[in-house]
Amino acid sequence: MSNHMNHPFHLVDKSPWPILSAFSVMSLVSGLAKWFHTFNMDLAILGILSTTLVMIQWWRDVVREGTFQGLHTSKVGVGLRWGMILFIASEVLFFVSFFWAFFHSSLAPAVELGSAWPPLGIKPFNPFQIPLLNTAILLASGVTVTWAHHALMENNHTQAFQGLFLTVFLGFYFTSLQALEYFEAPFSIADAVYGTTFFVATGFHGLHVIIGTTFLLICLIRHTLHHFSFTHHFGFEAAAWYWHFVDVVWLFLFISIYWWGN
Amino acid sequence: MSAIVTEELVTAPVDPRFPNQNQTRYCWQSYVDFHRCQKIKGEDFAPCEYFQKVYKSVCPNSWIEKWDSQREAGTFPKKI
Repeated sequence: MSNHMNHPFHLVDKSPWPILSAFSVMSLVSGLAKWFHTFNMDLAILGILSTTLVMIQWWRDVVREGTFQGLHTSKVGVGLRWGMILFIASEVLFFVSFFWAFFHSSLAPAVELGSAWPPLGIKPFNPFQIPLLNTAILLASGVTVTWAHHALMENNHTQAFQGLFLTVFLGFYFTSLQALEYFEAPFSIADAVYGTTFFVATGFHGLHVIIGTTFLLICLIRHTLHHFSFTHHFGFEAAAWYWHFVDVVWLFLFISIYWWGN
Repeated sequence: MSAIVTEELVTAPVDPRFPNQNQTRYCWQSYVDFHRCQKIKGEDFAPCEYFQKVYKSVCPNSWIEKWDSQREAGTFPKKI
């Protein structure tokens, strides 16, 4: 089939991924609910596996269409950019809900908590130890991802690799420190609304750091395979936008939950 | 015919620290203040009874019972 068209739009081919992803995500959500209620992980594992497989294959197809078939024209790129902007906007609102829960519970703590925040008996983390280091790590990773982007735009393959590699490394470093902090935590998600708001907010942020690091790692692999040109690298830009979003969420978490909230 | 009762009925006065319709915190603070007052001044110190009058007037009885048993069990969420 010829790729020549008299218009700039991407008319997609038939694909099994939309319906399969719908079924996979449905299994995943039902499986998580089942796991949390009955402690049986079977359906959740099926959901995770099938969702992962669909993600890999759907995005593999997108890479083929954009990078190798040239179907991502500048007009299509506008749609991709808007898609990413709207997606990140919805993610912002997702985190707004956790901050809402946090401030609802902490600004006027209930008498059951002793009218205090943190509640009596909760020993919160010192924000100027690991959390401050994590703030520095994420801010530094924002610098290195910008360095990689400028190197990419100037056709500097080596420095783009170095910048991206450092960003991924800093992402792993952040996740390791958060894991360490979780293991050392003197309170749990079951320790009243303090534990609940703390672990739900920081836990979902951690999940997003892991997703962002994976996104950047795939960009790093694609970069070594020469998928990106100095004018055509929206996959990388989307990863960088997402990474900045995760970074900003952390700043709010650090200031409100770790610092003000202790 | 029974005599007209002239007993004066009083409840806790308005406390400007608790300006909301929800008086939970007025109840809570008076309960805590009473027990702290007793701890510091001793059980026979009459002025402490003011706080007791307030919380007995403002708090639901079930809360007072719950907090009393929590203090006995050492699980009351505030240092007295």
